[in-house]
Amino acid sequence: MSARVKRSESAVVAGLPVLSAIGLKKHYPVKEGALQRVVGQVRAVDGVSFDVLKGETLGIVGESGCGKTTLGRCLTALLDPTEGGVYFEVPAEDRATLDELHARPADKLSATERTELAALDQRYRVDQLIGPARYNYRRNCQMVFQDAFASLNPRHLVRDIVGRPLSIYKEARGRERIERVVELLEAVGMGAQHLNRYPHEFSGGQQQRISIARALALDPQVIVLDEPTSSLDVSVQAQILNLLHDLQKDRNLTYVFVSHDLGVIQHISDRILVMYLGEIAEDGPTTEVFTEAKHPYTQALVDANPVLVDSQARTVKGLAGSVPDPARPPQGCRFHTRCPVVTPHCGWDLDDAVDWLTNHPDLRDQVKGESARTPFEGDITLVDDEAAERALELIQTKTPEAMREALVDVQRSGPTLALRFRERDRVQLVEVLPRHRTNCILVTEQREPDPDAPQPVNA
Amino acid sequence: MSTAAAVPVIQVRDLRVHFETKKRIVRAVDGVSFDLNENEILGIVGETGSGKSITARTLMGLLPMPPAVVAGGTVTFRPGGRCPYCQGSGCKTCKSTGNAVCAVCDGKGCAECDGTGRPTIDLLHLPPAKMRQLRGMRIAMIFQDPSKSLNPVLSVRDQVAEVFFQHRTADLLAEVGDSAWLPVRRAAHQEARSAERLLLRVPPFRSQARKVRKKVDDLVARALADVQIANPRKVMDSYPHQLSGGMKQRVMIAQAMACDPDVLIADEPTTALDTTVQARILELIVEMQQRRRAAVLYISHDLSVVRMVCDRVGVMYAGQMAEVGPAQQVFDSPHHPYTRALLAAVPSVGQGRGRLAAIEGSVPEFTDDSPLCRFHNRCPHAAAICTSVEPRLRTVAEAQSVACFGYESAVELGVPSTDMPDVPKSSTTTSVA
Repeated sequence: MSARVKRSESAVVAGLPVLSAIGLKKHYPVKEGALQRVVGQVRAVDGVSFDVLKGETLGIVGESGCGKTTLGRCLTALLDPTEGGVYFEVPAEDRATLDELHARPADKLSATERTELAALDQRYRVDQLIGPARYNYRRNCQMVFQDAFASLNPRHLVRDIVGRPLSIYKEARGRERIERVVELLEAVGMGAQHLNRYPHEFSGGQQQRISIARALALDPQVIVLDEPTSSLDVSVQAQILNLLHDLQKDRNLTYVFVSHDLGVIQHISDRILVMYLGEIAEDGPTTEVFTEAKHPYTQALVDANPVLVDSQARTVKGLAGSVPDPARPPQGCRFHTRCPVVTPHCGWDLDDAVDWLTNHPDLRDQVKGESARTPFEGDITLVDDEAAERALELIQTKTPEAMREALVDVQRSGPTLALRFRERDRVQLVEVLPRHRTNCILVTEQREPDPDAPQPVNA
Repeated sequence: MSTAAAVPVIQVRDLRVHFETKKRIVRAVDGVSFDLNENEILGIVGETGSGKSITARTLMGLLPMPPAVVAGGTVTFRPGGRCPYCQGSGCKTCKSTGNAVCAVCDGKGCAECDGTGRPTIDLLHLPPAKMRQLRGMRIAMIFQDPSKSLNPVLSVRDQVAEVFFQHRTADLLAEVGDSAWLPVRRAAHQEARSAERLLLRVPPFRSQARKVRKKVDDLVARALADVQIANPRKVMDSYPHQLSGGMKQRVMIAQAMACDPDVLIADEPTTALDTTVQARILELIVEMQQRRRAAVLYISHDLSVVRMVCDRVGVMYAGQMAEVGPAQQVFDSPHHPYTRALLAAVPSVGQGRGRLAAIEGSVPEFTDDSPLCRFHNRCPHAAAICTSVEPRLRTVAEAQSVACFGYESAVELGVPSTDMPDVPKSSTTTSVA
């Protein structure tokens, strides 16, 4: 049955990238009004680059709204990226060219470079593949969804659900197809007795097993697992994690495992990618990320994770505030609004000042509007002179130390405050240890943290 | 931590809740007994289908009946302080004293009140009107998914205010004085019709209505400030969809704690939240509990969270209590094979890769009452007796009891010792080591 092993041979050597995201961006338009005018962009994934290596498990972790699911869907080409792209099995020489071309903005490329990029995109970019190449990619990159029940057609029998990929790719039909489906069900710990049942007749764990069987049907290289155990009990979760572990060993699978559960991620992953607000905050080998977190956000996630082992404490540390609006992400380091070790250099901007003022109890409903000239410079208008005077005083005395230091200039004229903050570029992801990247400026730029703030744990 | 002198606020004895359908009877809760003491957090853990939520809903009187049937057992509520029905203003139940005292012995302590001197309220047979007076006032509940439990068309102000309109009408009307007009009274009970509401906009009713409104706003703002919502006056005017998940859960806790309840039932309050937010919500629940000395029943399937916040913990399996004891003790030296298996199944930080000790199979549904240990078909130590006799909770260590034959003697039960399971006495929880 040679047809069953249809893996492409180019990337079978361990350690080669199978999937590569290069400058990947996915923005969702925000529409408003009767004409559905586009008023903004939700930057769900905003410029991430990483490789998924052959045979590894890459864990993607972050809070809700950080773009991890969007990223997973971009990897499986269920979503088309806004910019950049996901590339499948790029040979090393083409990869170098692609990196070079993506390093520069699209309008700075010459005409020949643009045609070169377009040609490469057509050969390797997953959403632009056509014909046999697309076929090859699709069958080699499968997905398991978060809600197993919602991802199984309630009107189809298990034999059809698991057998569908086999029919579509003309792998098997009739009796042979049934045999293959039984084999797959047995691989996930179920059996022939389940063939003629509907999804609702199964428990949550069994439903997840069925969707794993479906993903395995075409013997793919990569499986993207989007929170496959989040709706399961610990005992069933352990069953599924064991199953995934065994399948990976038997079939040399590559997993991209998306989850918000640090315990699960730590258990299953070789490498971890921590996302925050559409960006990679840190990525690196699992143990290193857990024991020597280079980013305060990673540290906060680790600290907030309740552990079963000898914790006498009644509480764990949480993070203040909520994730900022991804349609207007903060400047500089996106985590600076909640960071416990923030510095004046982290990218304080006008929005931060407006947020702080509107949330101050003394100034309730007194901030009328803002007009930004640049993200770092602009005017805040209050209801009257008196309120503006009070706001000015608050800004000069009560704001967080780091924010005050970042404020270059503030002036009041009538009810309007003109503010100017220190300018700051977007932070860069830098490799600080072998295969371990972070974008925290405390590490990448050797900045000193704010003396009043608590010390970062490992930076 | 619970002490020997702990006063049980809620006593559940041999509770049985069945779901009756045309085909069969499912025994969702089958003989559960526990005490919820004053000033403690009792955790209930177990897999899906173990009956933990059904137990909680029975306490609140929120079961859909039919199909649910309370087939047996008692749930006794013994509130302290003010009379649970009139909140101290004097009514028939408390003989106008306003205090919560036992009706039989007048607070001296007797068999009826178990020596506590408190009134004994049977929550299973309470008339709906009286249950309504208790619910939200003395027993409150936080639900799992805040975005599904808050009303999307009401502002936060209106949702939290409902609690005060239901239970604190006297306080609201005290603001107006004795001469409250009828429409105002009705408005303070949230009973005003649309015509009356129009009437409240014109003099002379307007000024009184405004006073009531202002009082309600103050109460709502205070309740929101209590759960550490910054800027409560601003949050009051927003709708649930404008708030983040953590904020919504805070609003729900504010609603539940608004009237200082004796008992708070938290049914998986952090399951829908991120870990960073979960940490802060847990902190809040523990802080509120300690400040108000309330009794909290914390239901969760997350063992690490339960270990962290709870004083005592009960492990439920298939409608029965498998193990009860102080949280640290149960997690450090679990006795029941099910507790051990659950703990071993948790992947935790600091533990290497590889296989986890999963419990094969899933929680079965029980439809008949044949005596057996319900865990026997998934238990690694199951023996002959496990399929023929029902285990009883039995004290194995200080304050810790287990329902497993591994801790009983063959002689007492009158069976040959070969029928007894061989459960290793020292815990073999590899994941906890």
